[in-house]
Amino acid sequence: MAGNRRIFLTRCGTAGVASVGVSMPGIWRSAVNAAGLLGMPNTKGRVLVVVEMAGGNDGLNTVIPFADDTYYKARPVLAVPKDRVLKLNSAVALHPKLGDLRTLFDDSQVAVIQGVGYPKPDRSHFRSMDIWHTARPESVDLRDGWLGRALERDPKALAGGVPALALGSEKLPLALLSGRVNVPNVQSMDAYKLLPGPGDQSAQARAKQTLREVVALKATEAGGELDFLRRTADVTLTSVDRLGEVAKAYKSGATYPETGLARKLQVVARLIAGDMGTQIFYVSLGGFDTHSRQQPVHELLLAELSGAIAAFLKDLKSHKLADRVMVATFSEFGRRVDENGSLGTDHGAASQMFCIGPGVKPGVTGAHPSLTDLVDGDLKHHTDFRQVYAALLQNWLGYPAEPVLGKGFQPVDCVKG
Amino acid sequence: MIPTVSAGPLAPHDFGPAGWSPADAAHLLRRAQYGASALDINRAHKAGPLATLERLCVPQPEEPQFERESALLRQTALDTGSTTNLQAWWLHRMLHSANPLVEKMTFLWHNLFATSNDKVKDAALMLAQNDLFRAQALGDYARLLHQIARDPAMLIWLDGNANRRRHPNENFAREVMELFSLGVGNYTEKDIQEAARCFTGWHMRDGEFWFNDIQHDTGSKTVLGSTGKFDGDAVIDICLNQPACPRFIAIRLLKTFVIPEPDSKTIQAVADSITKNKFILRPVLRELLASRLFFSPQTRAAIIKSPLDLVLGTQRALVSAPKLEPTAKCLDDLGQALFMPPTVKGWEGGRLWISSTTYLLRANFATEISTQPKYGPLIDLDAQSSQHQLDTPAQAVDHYARLLLAAELDAKLKTRLVSLASSADSPGNRDRGLLHLLLALPEYQLM
Repeated sequence: MAGNRRIFLTRCGTAGVASVGVSMPGIWRSAVNAAGLLGMPNTKGRVLVVVEMAGGNDGLNTVIPFADDTYYKARPVLAVPKDRVLKLNSAVALHPKLGDLRTLFDDSQVAVIQGVGYPKPDRSHFRSMDIWHTARPESVDLRDGWLGRALERDPKALAGGVPALALGSEKLPLALLSGRVNVPNVQSMDAYKLLPGPGDQSAQARAKQTLREVVALKATEAGGELDFLRRTADVTLTSVDRLGEVAKAYKSGATYPETGLARKLQVVARLIAGDMGTQIFYVSLGGFDTHSRQQPVHELLLAELSGAIAAFLKDLKSHKLADRVMVATFSEFGRRVDENGSLGTDHGAASQMFCIGPGVKPGVTGAHPSLTDLVDGDLKHHTDFRQVYAALLQNWLGYPAEPVLGKGFQPVDCVKG
Repeated sequence: MIPTVSAGPLAPHDFGPAGWSPADAAHLLRRAQYGASALDINRAHKAGPLATLERLCVPQPEEPQFERESALLRQTALDTGSTTNLQAWWLHRMLHSANPLVEKMTFLWHNLFATSNDKVKDAALMLAQNDLFRAQALGDYARLLHQIARDPAMLIWLDGNANRRRHPNENFAREVMELFSLGVGNYTEKDIQEAARCFTGWHMRDGEFWFNDIQHDTGSKTVLGSTGKFDGDAVIDICLNQPACPRFIAIRLLKTFVIPEPDSKTIQAVADSITKNKFILRPVLRELLASRLFFSPQTRAAIIKSPLDLVLGTQRALVSAPKLEPTAKCLDDLGQALFMPPTVKGWEGGRLWISSTTYLLRANFATEISTQPKYGPLIDLDAQSSQHQLDTPAQAVDHYARLLLAAELDAKLKTRLVSLASSADSPGNRDRGLLHLLLALPEYQLM
């Protein structure tokens, strides 16, 4: 079956929109159909890039409610003065280090979704991150993540290839975990290479071919550990070859800042340009757990976020690929309204998400949560994060949201019709 | 009264008329120590199951040379304070100690009470904590839990000194319930707040535990339904008396030694054994490792190898004198740097060991082992070939598959391996090529 695992991408000229046809064995395709798994395949070659802001970003110092005096009272040291904020409307503004994001906002490429969270917020990094990754706040089932479950609805992803990819992490993010689809994670592009085995070139080629064949063998127990290992090995060998091929031709169309996130997003741009058929990319920016001396660290992180995403979109635009790409950011929680005694902020609850790219319905969505009507000193959410996920899945990627997220999550209006 | 014969999963395994096989011996050794050499398997097979278990569970005298080397590596770690040297000291023990199960259990405690030198930054304190784990490796978990609450490295790791009467810090109190004794769902946030008060004033001074009575909250507290003027030891005793506690330890033992997803009945059987033995683990492990469950087909090749199992196991089977520092670096790349767990949760293991990045690293490790002396010289393949009469490709495939793979070799897989081995231009290249491929297989990642 491995030999038939090919995805053919045909470019249709205009605006870099690609149509995707799938080749897979007929018997297998009908099995997929019979299982009712064929959802709405992503026919427009759209790409979602998830940027995780790990550690709990201080949302109040990201999208700042500058018109509310409570903000200034709660944060005598950490508040950003009114004359320095980058106003988005009469109520909220971006942090001054988000200048590039502000330019994109003015260019109608940013949706700010305010007041995002979930019921009974958990203030543990581990637990809250798991909740965002699994989209199952009520359960401790960590067998799969929201993006992994989405991919299971997609015959292309089930057929193999590289349907999604995590960049820069040693472990695969839980969000991309699935019992049936294996997603590669690439910690570093330079190290993502298979060393040739012993012997001369022909012996090396025979060994690699044999390994490819045996990892594609069907395990007796579907879903067991051997099955999982074989699927991982298979996607590893496939992705090593594909990444090796696409890495060569690309020329960057923008100058990226010298930051970790920028380096990761530059690789993502290269892989999108290389057209591997990857629909979902996942990168993480850590360090947002700012309990003490927050200001300098937080400013650097916001500048890194904003600069990297702006360069990324500029690069994609130069390759006429930007229309196909949307970036979405999240963090596991916001931080408390009041600053603490060590010039920092402690774990909080509701915060905002950004969706960025030409495909967003631009603007500020939803009111800023009240700074006085709080739960345990934290902001109340009015929008469930799964409503944003629903928009990204259904309105952007074209996956049905309900089987992935459950019932009742009305998509937030953040994607252009 | 007819005495009841235990028929549960922990009943002793009956090896039947076929008897204790080399595969049974290899299964026990791969689980109870870090891998097995051909010699290890042969020796255990000849000795029989009872003598092998006895050797694993009862303290064995160490060789004087081992003691000298270990002392030297320990002193080096103390002198330099470097984490790599700490790792080299422990890896040497894991590879060469006459008590390999002790080292495996010591690691189990390191993973349970996961403390990182990244924050502690003190080799002597990390060594002292490791000694504590080793002293109770197959010993008394209840005593260890009391000791770890006073352990200086732990006090640094979970901010003991920040836990003061007027400002309780919940860090240790939370982990003692969530990660050290009970598990999520067996306590409330209120229990943690109250337990934190009990541990106030449990501080560290000059590298030692110090009860700072000015900072201890002497008031009444209610923890897990009990009320009193409790201190930290009282909280630990309350935790130990929860039914969740032996179950929590049972799950850890089962996942480490037996099966990745134990069912509730099995967990309870092991928990009952732990309770019966008052948290002394030697008899519990002895029962478990001799049990029907342990030798059942469902537990064979059921566990995904940790990097330690993979790397040290490969070295034990194929490398004559493993080099410690490159080994430590390799384990770090694969995600298991000793003394540096990623978080207080330790290494979660199982499928989380495997991603495409780590799979590539595992495949590349297979290449390195079979082509370079980076991790130490490969055993003499020609000598193996003549000793075991590996005259045909099929004989070579069978021999190395039995040595390295936990499961029976699948027929389709065997055909391809024999075909590959047949294409080699010399017996030496044949076996080198075969080892490379066997070590890169998905099957080799299981034990």
